[in-house]
Amino acid sequence: MSRFDIVSPEGLRVDGRRPPELRRLSCRTGVFAQADGSAYIEQGNTKCLVAVYGPREPSKRLLTEKGPTINVEYNVASFSSGERKTKMRKDRRLMEIASVIKQTFEPIICYGQNVASRSEIDVNIQILQLDGGALHAAINATTLAMIDAGVPMRDFVCACSAGWYKDTALLDLNHLEESADVPTLTVGLLPKSGKVTLLSLESRLHLDKFQSVLELASQGCERMRDELDSTIRKATQELAKTAL
Amino acid sequence: MDIDTAADATTNGASHFTLDADTFRKIHPAEYNRRFISQGVRADGRPLQRFRKANVNVGSITTANGSSMVRLGNTTVICGIKAEVTEPTPEAPRAGFLVPNLDLPALCSPQFRPGPPGELAQTISEYINQICTSTNLLNLDDLCIASGQAVWVLHADILCLNYEGNALDAALAALIAALWNVRLPKSTYDELEGTVRAAATNTIPLVLNRLPLAATFGVFDAQHLIADPTDQEEPLLSSQLAIVVDQEDNLCGILKEGSAMDRERMVECIGLARNRAQALRRLIDEALAKADAS
Repeated sequence: MSRFDIVSPEGLRVDGRRPPELRRLSCRTGVFAQADGSAYIEQGNTKCLVAVYGPREPSKRLLTEKGPTINVEYNVASFSSGERKTKMRKDRRLMEIASVIKQTFEPIICYGQNVASRSEIDVNIQILQLDGGALHAAINATTLAMIDAGVPMRDFVCACSAGWYKDTALLDLNHLEESADVPTLTVGLLPKSGKVTLLSLESRLHLDKFQSVLELASQGCERMRDELDSTIRKATQELAKTAL
Repeated sequence: MDIDTAADATTNGASHFTLDADTFRKIHPAEYNRRFISQGVRADGRPLQRFRKANVNVGSITTANGSSMVRLGNTTVICGIKAEVTEPTPEAPRAGFLVPNLDLPALCSPQFRPGPPGELAQTISEYINQICTSTNLLNLDDLCIASGQAVWVLHADILCLNYEGNALDAALAALIAALWNVRLPKSTYDELEGTVRAAATNTIPLVLNRLPLAATFGVFDAQHLIADPTDQEEPLLSSQLAIVVDQEDNLCGILKEGSAMDRERMVECIGLARNRAQALRRLIDEALAKADAS
C-alpha cells in the first residue's frame, strides 16, 4: 500500500473529506458565444469545458435513420496533470472515453419534431485540469451543454464515481485515490426513472461490496442532478431577464 | 433577385421578400460589413482602429509550472507551461529548450474540424517560435541543470477555447504571461546515478529578456484600416499586418500577408501597435502582481 492512508483513523480522506462527501462543485452554462451550447464544470481540481455544435446539417452522408448522429471529441490538455502527456493522433484511451460518452447520450436524445433524425451534433470536450473523475465531470458538463444548446433530452444524465477502501465506500474519488488501489465505479444515472445508463469499472471489486458502492454512487448522482438542475434554472432565469 | 436591393427594399417596405439583419449578415457578409465600415464603425460597434478589450489572468492551472488565460473580446486562449528534464544537444550543452505550440481545436469554433492541426494553427505556432528565438526571449542557458547532461525543456501549450479572430495577438500575450508566471523547482544532478533531483516546491522564476507583444491589423476593401479583426472580418480582408513590439519599443517582427499596402499606412500601424503592446504589457503586469499578492 502507499505511504499515506486513503482513509485516516479519524475517518477522513487525503483531501479532508468524509467518505460520502462530494468535492466542491461549480458549474456554468453559456460560457462561450461561438458554440451553440457550452458548459464549464469545476469539481474539486478537475476542470472540464464542453462545447456543443448543432444539431446541424451532417458533414457527410449518414446511413442511420435512427436519430441524430453524435460526434464526441474528447481531449485532455497536455498541461492538465502532473506528468506531461503528448497527445497521440489516435489515442485509444481518449477514443474509448469519447465512445462511452457518445453511447451514453445517443439513446436519450428525443428526435422528430425539433431535431431532425439525420442531423449531426458535435460534442467537444476539453479537460483543462485533471484530478480524478474526468469521465463523470465530462458527462455532467455534456448534459449541461446539451441543454444549453437546446437539444431535447428525455432526462438529465448525471454521473458520479464511487470506490471501496477497506470497509467503507468512498464517493467522488480524486486522483490520489484513483491511482492508489481503490476500485473506481463510475455510474451514469437518469434520475427521473432511476435507471442506470452507464456503469464502468476497471479494477477488482468484490461482488458483495458492489451493491453498496453502486448505492453510494447513485446518491452522488442524485445530488449532482440537484446541482445541474439549479444551474440550468439560474441560467434560464438570467436569460428570461435579458429577454424581457 | 439581387440581395442588396432586397435588403434595401425592407427599409421602404416595397417588397414582400424581406431580410432581417442576421440573415443578411450570413448570406452576404462582405456587404454587411461594408455598410458598417464605410460609416466608420465596425459590425461589433467598435471604431475602425480600436482593439477589443483585453483581459489577463495568470496561475489558474495549478498542475502547470506556469499558466495564463488571455481574452481579447471573446477570443479566449489558455497557456500552460510544463517543465521536463531532457538531454541537451552536443552543439549547445548548456542550452535548454522552449517549445511553443498553438492548438485550435474543434471546440473553439465551428470553422475548425477535429483532427491534425490546421494550417492557421501551424503558421502561428511557427511564427511564435521564430519570435522566441530571434528576440532571445529567454537565456536558454538559464535552463541548464548540468552541462551536457540535463536541461529543462519548457513545453508551452497554448490552447484556444473560443475563437473570435486574431489568435496571434492572444497566443503571444498568453505565452509571455505564462512564461513570466513559471516557477521551476530547485534541482541538482546526481553524477553517480545520472539522475536529476528536483525539490518538491516550484520556486525559481525565469528571466525574460524581452516582452514582445503583437498587434494585428487588416485592410478592408483596400482602403479602410481596421485593428484587431474578428473571425467574421478575417476572411474579407484583402491584407493583414501583424506587428510585434517589445517593451523598449523595438520592432521584433512584422508579418504582412495579402495584397499591397501603402507605406504611410504601415507607419500608422506601427504607432498603434506600440500603444497596444504597452496596454497589454500593463495588463500582464497587473495580473502577475495580483497573482503574487494572493
